[in-house]
Amino acid sequence: MNPYGPVALYLCVAFAAALLFSVLPGLVARRKPNPEKAEAYECGVEPTSAVAGRFPVRFYLIAMLFVIFDVEAASFYPWAVQMHALRIYGLLEMIVFIIVLGIGYAYVWKKGGFAWR
Amino acid sequence: MTGALPVALGNYVALASVMFFIGVVGVLVRRNPLVMLMSIELMFNAANVLFMAFARAWLQNAGQIFAFLVITVAAAEAAIGLAIVVAVFRSAATVDVDEVRSLHG
Amino acid sequence: MILNPFGTADWMAIAPIVALAIASLLVLLADLVARPAISRYGAVAIGLLGTAAAAVLAAMQYGHVYAAFFGGFVTGGFTTVFEEIVAIALAGSLALYATLGDPKRIGGTVALMLWGSCGAMLMAGAANLMTIFLGLELLSLALYCLCGMVDRRGARESALKYLILSSTASGFLLFGMALLFGASGSVLLADLARPQLAANPLFWMGSGLFLIGLAFKMSLVPFHAWAPDVYEGAPLPVTAYMSVATKAATLAVFARVLYAALPAGTASHVMLPVWIVAGISMIAGNVGMLAQHDLKRLLAYSGIAQVGYILTAMAGGSALGLRYAIYYLVAYTFMNLGAFAVATAISGEHEEGARLVSYAGLARRRPWLAAAMTFFMLALAGMPPTAGFLGKILILATSADSGYAWLGGLLVAGTAISLYAYAKVVRAMYLPQSGDHHVADLRPIAPLAWISVTLCLIGVIAMTFYPLTPSNVLPLLR
Repeated sequence: MNPYGPVALYLCVAFAAALLFSVLPGLVARRKPNPEKAEAYECGVEPTSAVAGRFPVRFYLIAMLFVIFDVEAASFYPWAVQMHALRIYGLLEMIVFIIVLGIGYAYVWKKGGFAWR
Repeated sequence: MTGALPVALGNYVALASVMFFIGVVGVLVRRNPLVMLMSIELMFNAANVLFMAFARAWLQNAGQIFAFLVITVAAAEAAIGLAIVVAVFRSAATVDVDEVRSLHG
Repeated sequence: MILNPFGTADWMAIAPIVALAIASLLVLLADLVARPAISRYGAVAIGLLGTAAAAVLAAMQYGHVYAAFFGGFVTGGFTTVFEEIVAIALAGSLALYATLGDPKRIGGTVALMLWGSCGAMLMAGAANLMTIFLGLELLSLALYCLCGMVDRRGARESALKYLILSSTASGFLLFGMALLFGASGSVLLADLARPQLAANPLFWMGSGLFLIGLAFKMSLVPFHAWAPDVYEGAPLPVTAYMSVATKAATLAVFARVLYAALPAGTASHVMLPVWIVAGISMIAGNVGMLAQHDLKRLLAYSGIAQVGYILTAMAGGSALGLRYAIYYLVAYTFMNLGAFAVATAISGEHEEGARLVSYAGLARRRPWLAAAMTFFMLALAGMPPTAGFLGKILILATSADSGYAWLGGLLVAGTAISLYAYAKVVRAMYLPQSGDHHVADLRPIAPLAWISVTLCLIGVIAMTFYPLTPSNVLPLLR
């Protein structure tokens, strides 16, 4: 037998047992729900708010802008790898790319996209 | 380089199909727009897996370029999606699409 | 070996797109420099200049075949026609925007419209899967933002809905493209026409998913539910733009796939679901129109049916069918933009022109506008003295020739149903109303909207007398 055979067997047994124990209660147990039981348990105290608290919308804005400029920066890699082969054309093309990106960046800046207020 | 893949091509297709299917189900089942956006990203990335696998199988760089393009587009899409979700949230104070109901949809 | 990827032919080919992109950047720069922000007419003037430049450059390409990006973008008669349609839609909606736009966001909105048109023009000439995807996403991403750029809750919700549904469709389209790439080993559309693909399951699955994505973007029936809501939520000029530009660009891609990218003999099998769906759209779209009280929703359902008519023309895959489809699409562009221009002309801050109640008694207040609207409605319905009628007759003739007479029959049935809905608008304008509660708010004449109405009217009439069916489209498709 392969030296890893027992491990595989063990994994199968563990998985089957876990599956059994998570399915069995649903089939066997009697259910008598009431409002008290249905409530989420938090140290005996009634939960007062949703678990994931709200956080300022500014984080979303920053994340949004980050995603865009992050991926645009990744666009430089293919050019960097082939820089010598692409020669002046590649350079010009990337300059155009940066100009377009720069105008967008300036626009976001002017419109207050980076202001933390 | 013979172009032979270390893993059979069919496995990549299977993986991508499963990813795509999970994405579709996610869009259909989940009601949180952020999760729906993530599911859509999953669909895009399933296509990316296929592009990379086929690019290798056919020895065609076009697939890799396409995948790169998709990544860029997906990022832009995520950013715009986030912006719109924030805009809706600001005007509606909910991010559950079932409550976004003033249109008859 | 590295080829020169940016030869002169490439620049010549994408010149119209570059013109639009430059105009868009100029609008943003002007918005940056101007204090406090760019004026409404300034932004629209730059946009219109860029559009005019793009239209002229595109017209200069007519009949010249340039292939850019290693065959990913091809110009010629076909591309020029669709680029001109996009330019018309853009110019029309920019003019409407100058009348109705939100002054706070004018710079960004105009820039986004221009970028979206770049995407639409890219789709018009796209000859490989990458260019199709890039153009489609550029157009769609711009439209998501445009739909949400108003301080109305409905607009933002429609933007969210559009974003999620449309991105899902993009996912289908993209996965289909990946499978097609896997089947053929090439992203060029021309390579999809290789006969051995007909036996490849990847090809069939891929084209199926690809067509589902396209059907969604064309708002064909099982995938049409987004259109009325998104049209209703979006600002009037954006709706006008969307209703024409998206359809034109997607139809360009569809036509190119149908005519140039299918293995011989497979077209009737691959496309059969599309024709069936087109037939259902003609009926369902027209039935959906009957219940609407909002002009934008009405025109959304109308658009669903109109795409069905255009697809009917292409169903046989004949060269003549493509010419008639283009003819009808151009006529539709003018009549649809015209209807939106009338709606803008009687709109104020709250887009009154979008609601059908605002048309009550319009014939007495603004007889010329009412006459123009009547004409556009007749054209959309396909009634005799208009280009819409001529277009439908041509489509019927070609569908009978190519063995798709059942689609022609559905077209006639759909038209009959739609008459009632279009007549509703006309009746509201001409019949005396009991409670004439809207007589008071007579809008001052908005010059640009009136000019747009006039130009669209001239366009529809000219199409009737000089049927523009570009003859050399098909050879340039490949």
